[in-house]
Amino acid sequence: MSIIMISSDVPEMENRIAEGVAEEKGYDRLDRRILADAALRYGTRPERLNEALESAPSLFRRLALRRWRYALACIQAEVLDRMLADNLVCWGLAAHLYVNGVSHAMKIRVLSGKEADAKTAEQMGVPLHKSERWRAASSKRRKEWTMAAFQEEEADPSRYDLVIRLDQIDPVEAVRTIVGASEYRKFQSMTYSTKCLTDLALAAKVHVALSESMTDVRVQARDGSVVVSTRVPNRQKRKKVAAIKQVAGRVHGVSYVEVHAQKGFFKRTG
Amino acid sequence: MARPLDVLLLDDEPIVGRRLKPALDKIGCRVEVFENPREAVARIDEKEFDVVVTDIRMEGMDGIQVLEHVQKRWPRTKVVLITGYAKMDLAREAMGKGVFDFIAKPFRPDDLRRIIVRAAEALGVLMDPSALANDPVDD
Repeated sequence: MSIIMISSDVPEMENRIAEGVAEEKGYDRLDRRILADAALRYGTRPERLNEALESAPSLFRRLALRRWRYALACIQAEVLDRMLADNLVCWGLAAHLYVNGVSHAMKIRVLSGKEADAKTAEQMGVPLHKSERWRAASSKRRKEWTMAAFQEEEADPSRYDLVIRLDQIDPVEAVRTIVGASEYRKFQSMTYSTKCLTDLALAAKVHVALSESMTDVRVQARDGSVVVSTRVPNRQKRKKVAAIKQVAGRVHGVSYVEVHAQKGFFKRTG
Repeated sequence: MARPLDVLLLDDEPIVGRRLKPALDKIGCRVEVFENPREAVARIDEKEFDVVVTDIRMEGMDGIQVLEHVQKRWPRTKVVLITGYAKMDLAREAMGKGVFDFIAKPFRPDDLRRIIVRAAEALGVLMDPSALANDPVDD
């Protein structure tokens, strides 16, 4: 039983490979189609969630930034909750950036290669060099987004279990390669990995509950015990700690809440 | 016909055996506890256990070496690794080498009992249903 997360530098290719793997393995699909359910669950709009996955607001637009962070928190909570079901292929939800340390969750990176530029040029009816420039700009925007959202370098190959270049391996073979690799015993679930995922899912649920009304919170969970770290000026500390304990304590699955409150602000607010 | 499941429990921390043996006895296991890996391996050479539960980090011999030894000697035996230093890479390494399950300390005895019951099912060993019915959810 495993989870396969696929990401690519070209969304259409990511979709194609992921659908192929899901079809071949008979696995459930976890992609942006879940955003409608997530929006309903967390009282927001699906377009907001979709937009949160595409672009980040300016750091100077505080309200927009807060809403964006909340949208990302909703997505993470929804994705992690669904991943507990196991045997699924996930793409389009940036899961490879926040599902970390779960041994039965494989991360695959698919690189489209130069042919993708030629195809895009043909589809858009533009010269190749324009298509290449468009793709470079798109990659730059994507890099800025991943850094803003998760402080992670998405293109770093060391974060993946398997990297496939489609200019060397065609999509059909790529699907077969991924399916084959996913059968390896080391990518199967075990008690430890299932617990890791359960803890991540609980932390994400608590995080989204807190993010409705506050920023600058980080959450870790283990076996129902939750540690919330936050930064707050001294004069607000008692009130904020009490609020965190109340909100976090109401989340299903939480048995204990500990709050670490420090002065100042987090450098990272992911 | 139901029979006791033969379990060898190896951990160099005495409290682990003291805590887990009674918990496994309750569900109909016949448990032998060892703190010294070399003694445990000597016993494994004498007897085929259904399940070997072993810590990873120990003096003289680590749990991965115990796993490899068990696999060579008794391929049918299910090995469960327990560790206070669980990391994804170690978990994957252990699974790749054929471990039945991998669990991080601290854990509740009930977590291990569930794994033992699954191991029994995988081995086709029928455990005493009355002992399993008395199994408390948590202790």
